[in-house]
Amino acid sequence: MSYQEKNITVSLVSHLLIGVYYLSQLFEIQQAGGLVAARVFSLWAVVIVAIIVVNIVGNILTHILLSIIHAIKTRSEHVEKFVEDERDQLIGLKGDKVSHIAFSIGVLIAMLTFAFGQPPLVMFSLLILASIVAEIIGDLSQLYLYRKGF
Amino acid sequence: MDKYKVRNNVRKLRFHHDEMTQEQLADKVGVTRQTIIAIEGGKYAPSLELAFKIALVFGVPLQDVFSYELEGDEK
Repeated sequence: MSYQEKNITVSLVSHLLIGVYYLSQLFEIQQAGGLVAARVFSLWAVVIVAIIVVNIVGNILTHILLSIIHAIKTRSEHVEKFVEDERDQLIGLKGDKVSHIAFSIGVLIAMLTFAFGQPPLVMFSLLILASIVAEIIGDLSQLYLYRKGF
Repeated sequence: MDKYKVRNNVRKLRFHHDEMTQEQLADKVGVTRQTIIAIEGGKYAPSLELAFKIALVFGVPLQDVFSYELEGDEK
């Protein structure tokens, strides 16, 4: 497994965890008497900040951990170069494209719920869920392309 | 329309250059070993710049490394 694949795997796992946390919290709010604006807004804030922070911190931590593991494995002080070449960039772009398509479908579904009479909070909750799901689908498509070769 | 595919002789050229490893070739052209593996396996068609870099490493013209052939046509 290459450095990029490990990086994407970390991102995938963190997005899955955020997704599970979001759904469980949303379910809890729903069980406690329906969607209340104040609680839902704070949950969105937490989830959006978590996605941004996890993406940045996860990237840095993966880089540090892989460097340490490489140094222990090879028992050398030679610093491993984690090159991102043209194929990695193309796979990244394709992953982004898949992610955008998935998010667009999510936005459409969210809009449809509103059009069919659901309250705005449901629509916005679905929008946040769509962004998490889109990230997961983007990560999965990148992993698939890496496994396939391109 | 007929389907064409980029084929390559990278594996053969590495062999004729003192069994150059994929890692060595990757370092020389500035890509990862996985990219060289994908190119050799015909799964990834490199950019023109990378193709020229690979040809330069082997000291041969581009058409000796890469060719554009009908899919299914084996040499």
